[in-house]
Amino acid sequence: MIQSLRRNVSIYSAIASTAAKARLAYNMWVWADFFATIISMFIFVYFWRAVYAGETTLSGLTLAQTINYILLARLLAPLVETRTIYFFGYMIRQGQIAVELTRPLDMQLRVVVETFAELATFLVQRLPLFLLAWLIFGLQLPSNPAVWIAFFISLILGQAVLFLFDWMFACLAFYVTETWGLSVVRIGVGSFFSGALVPLVMMPGWLQNIAAAMPFAQAMSVPVSFLSGITSLADAPRLWTIQIIWLAALLILSRVIFSITVRKVTVQGG
Amino acid sequence: MSVIEVRELTKVFKIPKKEIGLTGAIKALFMPKYEQKTAVDRVNFQIDEGEVVGYIGVNGAGKSTTIKMLTGILVPTSGHARVLGRDPHKERVANAREIGVVFGQRTQLWWDLAFIESLNLVARIYQVPETRYKKLLDQFAEMLELKELFHVPIRNMSLGQKMRAELAATLIHEPRVVYLDEPTIGLDLIVKERIREFIKEQNQTKSTTVVLTTHDLGDIEELCKRVIIIDAGRLIYDGPIETIKQQFGKYREITFETIHSSERVTLPSGAETTHVEPRRLTVRFDRTLTTASQVAAALMNQIEVKDFSLSEPDLASIIKQIYNGALNREAA
Repeated sequence: MIQSLRRNVSIYSAIASTAAKARLAYNMWVWADFFATIISMFIFVYFWRAVYAGETTLSGLTLAQTINYILLARLLAPLVETRTIYFFGYMIRQGQIAVELTRPLDMQLRVVVETFAELATFLVQRLPLFLLAWLIFGLQLPSNPAVWIAFFISLILGQAVLFLFDWMFACLAFYVTETWGLSVVRIGVGSFFSGALVPLVMMPGWLQNIAAAMPFAQAMSVPVSFLSGITSLADAPRLWTIQIIWLAALLILSRVIFSITVRKVTVQGG
Repeated sequence: MSVIEVRELTKVFKIPKKEIGLTGAIKALFMPKYEQKTAVDRVNFQIDEGEVVGYIGVNGAGKSTTIKMLTGILVPTSGHARVLGRDPHKERVANAREIGVVFGQRTQLWWDLAFIESLNLVARIYQVPETRYKKLLDQFAEMLELKELFHVPIRNMSLGQKMRAELAATLIHEPRVVYLDEPTIGLDLIVKERIREFIKEQNQTKSTTVVLTTHDLGDIEELCKRVIIIDAGRLIYDGPIETIKQQFGKYREITFETIHSSERVTLPSGAETTHVEPRRLTVRFDRTLTTASQVAAALMNQIEVKDFSLSEPDLASIIKQIYNGALNREAA
């Protein structure tokens, strides 16, 4: 038991560091991303200033709170874009799935480890952008370490929820082989209902209900609301419980779906 | 001890059948029609420890499908496969620890990383002990000339370099069973030679069982004592390579170059034309029924011959005959 745990830690930590290295192989991409994100922050900040013209609060949020939230949402937006769905489609279309399935690894564990390693690398690469957001737009970050802890816990739980949700959709690739369209739709819907574009509290009640029924907010709105000061620390235990329930349900469901659909695999190209 | 056991193994694919054109595409969307294609059809064989078996057949014969069932990627439609006593699909991860697979046209290495980093990770995944890994790395580096490749990312490698890297990664955990799916495809002779030597060495020193699919009969002649031939999913031959050579070795071929074109010639019994071109004629004859001089004399009586040559059949032409149904004719 302990031995197999040690073996797994040794294997999957090596996979994590490889995924991080592979991501760092593309430096140009980082600069392009910096540029695009700065532009998008400008657009969003001026948009919200225009919306607030003459108003002091909207849905209980001040302009400063909204801008703070939206800057953080812009900085973290790529976290609700999925790579899993596209990755599955690519693997199956190219027949690479054959190679992946001959590795002595739990495929889901391996992909989640890689995804999280990439996310962590991504966040570190984006640190200079946080600094710029502070310099240019006056981004406010909390000084209370407890808030940061609440943020990171809910971020990790929420990202795991989103990963498992995407995993289930990714399994569709075993049937349709082409998942590009699916991943475009998923990113559009996900950005909107995660609160990456508009704070969820500003949405009409029925839209908020829909958003709550979907897992996207868990990965974005919930953690970012801690960091931007919209959610107070007192709400943390309740929010974490909801996240853990999502996580447990999706973990079981996604594993069952994978083990059924993987039997459908027909490896392309002989 | 038999390490691979295949009984009545069958795989049927359901393939969507689409008519051509937009209307066809729309029809397929609402009323999908499927076609059943039997890729592997009730195949039986058994492979013992330390054997090197050539698994051959034309494109689409079902070779790769069989390999994919033996590696646990595909689930058989019926029949069963056992590798080292396990069901490869149900115990996919346990099976994967003891086997190695090379798919000639894919890579298990990380595209953007230096080769040595990929290799380190592979060794970690298979939990190769540190000292053993170092030792094997030195051996492999020498046999496959890998030293100067260690710091090259896979994406910058040539085909031959990639295949050498791939083989090293596949055998670094010293698997008991290795499947090589067209390992020499597209490679030059020197690299082919090196790869064959390496496979041979691994087999001899570690009794690794090797299943090799290839279109390169040089691979088969150098590495395999036994071949399994499949065609349209059916096993059509399983036995020593020598038997094939003997059985088909009774045939010889004579190629005649003639002054005038002539399509109709009469030949002694036991001889038949296999290939007709303007001013060139290939005749195959059974040495137990007739002789080269009888064939040549009969032909020279009918047409003016400019030149002729006699050839011993090589394995390539034998296999070609088998694919063309010669085995069935033999049986009949």
